[in-house]
Amino acid sequence: MSDITYLPGKEPHEKEHRLIFRNVDRKGWNPKIKTYLAEGGYEMAMKALKMKPQEVIDEVKASGLRGRGGAGFPTGIKWGFIPPNNTKPVYLICNCDESEPGTFKDRYIAHQDPHQLIEGMVISAYAVGAHVAYIYIREEFPEAAIILEKAIAEAKKNGFLGKDIQGSGFDLEIYVHRGAAAYICGEETGLIESLEGKRPYPRIKPPYFPAAIGLYMAPTIVNNVESLCHVVHILRMGGEEYIKLGTPRNSGTRMSVFQAMFLRGTVAVPITFQELLYDMCGGPKDGRTLKAVIPGGSSSKILRCNETFQIGRGDDAEEMTFWQLPLDFDTLAAAGSMAGSGGVIVMDDTRRMSWVLNNITHFYAHESCGQCTPCREGSTWMKKVSDRIEDGKATPTDVQVLEDIAYQIDGKTVCAFGEASAWPVEAMIDKFRDELVGETSDDNDTRSAERIAQEQFLSSVPQ
Amino acid sequence: MSSKIEAPRPRSIDRSKLSYISTSAPNDREVPKPRLIDRSAVEYIRPVLTVLEKNVHSPVTPGVVHFPQFKITPALEKAANKRIAQYPDDQRRSAVLPLLHEVQHRHGFISPESIEWVAEKLGIAAIKVVEVVTFYPGFRQKAPGKLHFRVCRTLSCAMGGSYELMANLCEITGIDRGSADTHKDPISISPCGNYSVEYAECLASCGTAPVCLVNDDFHEGVTPEKAESLITQYES
Repeated sequence: MSDITYLPGKEPHEKEHRLIFRNVDRKGWNPKIKTYLAEGGYEMAMKALKMKPQEVIDEVKASGLRGRGGAGFPTGIKWGFIPPNNTKPVYLICNCDESEPGTFKDRYIAHQDPHQLIEGMVISAYAVGAHVAYIYIREEFPEAAIILEKAIAEAKKNGFLGKDIQGSGFDLEIYVHRGAAAYICGEETGLIESLEGKRPYPRIKPPYFPAAIGLYMAPTIVNNVESLCHVVHILRMGGEEYIKLGTPRNSGTRMSVFQAMFLRGTVAVPITFQELLYDMCGGPKDGRTLKAVIPGGSSSKILRCNETFQIGRGDDAEEMTFWQLPLDFDTLAAAGSMAGSGGVIVMDDTRRMSWVLNNITHFYAHESCGQCTPCREGSTWMKKVSDRIEDGKATPTDVQVLEDIAYQIDGKTVCAFGEASAWPVEAMIDKFRDELVGETSDDNDTRSAERIAQEQFLSSVPQ
Repeated sequence: MSSKIEAPRPRSIDRSKLSYISTSAPNDREVPKPRLIDRSAVEYIRPVLTVLEKNVHSPVTPGVVHFPQFKITPALEKAANKRIAQYPDDQRRSAVLPLLHEVQHRHGFISPESIEWVAEKLGIAAIKVVEVVTFYPGFRQKAPGKLHFRVCRTLSCAMGGSYELMANLCEITGIDRGSADTHKDPISISPCGNYSVEYAECLASCGTAPVCLVNDDFHEGVTPEKAESLITQYES
């Protein structure tokens, strides 16, 4: 890998292990099939087509690959959920509706390495027995949609897609389907509804598990772009070898994308926050200190930088400061947050938490699909309350009201959007209650004339 | 007072009198095929138009001069047929989004006539297209300016200064965003019709914040000071 050079200013950090990002920002790289084939492209697809589908599934299961979309569900197990006596056509959908605030990994693959994705899709489609696959790409990537369509046409011309791929007898067609700027389409059943040409109202699970009843009521596998790309590397390295890349139960590399006003970059796990934010990203600028970190897209719970956590249970429990936390699915879950989609957002001490909270509630109020009442009404209500707090027009009880609303959305909706909108608010109030209450004032309490009269009357009555 | 509450007894219904209720089991009931809009049947088309008039308000904006009026052309038909072929024959409805994208790309926004055309093309009721258009923020119901700016306002970009960027853009182009509303009326257009602005939710490039889309072009690292150069690079 030493012969790969990257564009100036885009070189990876020495601790970074680039697997699926190998060709991103690489010198002399372009998204054409010629470049990809010169690097041994589509060899793994050919290898997979010579194997039995079950062998491919077993290999992915052995690798312990967990879905990279946010929920972290094991990909191999998901593939195994297709009913064995199925007679309907099976569909494969690539979820490229990357809308989680703070996440921007799929963008690079779609723009710079589309053939890696297509190869991963060929292997996955073969494993699950799909002959039609869709790439659901968000509307905000107009250029990527064109690049992907070009790449699909190229792959078809070279015989890696279409009828009887390379004489194996396996047919596959991939189509690009553009969404229309709705965050909820990232939810897999919402995505399926959208692909069917309806409003993307998520379906209730059970019974609508996509692997059993998905697109057009047929079994459907929905995988994230990153997960599908990892399949290529699992076949190259073998599941046993791949699992060694990460920590147990968190195998493989993982892209974490970071940003803040002062930090930028992409890396792979396992590393701790200390290594990530100070060693790799260079720490905060202008001598500021870090205040809080959102570790996995805006829906994950915020972590305070001066916290300590109890990780593990019983005798195995150990105390860890925030800086010692490794960035993997299980530790972050134990710390009360989640690794989610891997977008790390960092805030320094100049940020007002009420402002951050207000920005997040505005996002969720805008993106709630409106199917379930708690989420539709609650997200708008939270927006209004947080507007008041941010403007300094709130009373201390408003913080309590906000928390109550959040807990009444959590777990009462069809899809996980309810939690996604409630968790950041719950965590923000939990961790920064004093700061939020500090921005409120009792003077803002507006009382009706009736209530004032009532209070005057009650105070005038002798006790 | 009796403690037991009696359930009301169901009224017996003579089902033979109710022609619209099918008496057969729901499984083998034949699903009626959606009717195509027959333009000659005014009685039928009238309520459809009412639905459209009610739900799709396409106010005339200054930007309308930059876009050709909706017209069914062979090129549009060809593009539409290509999109429809992507989906199984009995699932033509799936092509609603791609078809609307084709229309919006050519004509700038989704007009009532184009909704009627899409519905006719896919053999579904117009309301099923309307519900899609009114749901997705990606579909516009009025013409934007010649240059349409979509500035990301979500956390990462907001921390990078996208609110200031938006303020600068509005100041340079003379746009008044006073009446803008994220749900009902997200797009604000300059009086000259050349520019329009809108806040977008997370454009997925948080590492290079603040970012914005100008028509279909993506711009990274557009700090508030770069607002002017962003506009001038399109002037020529």
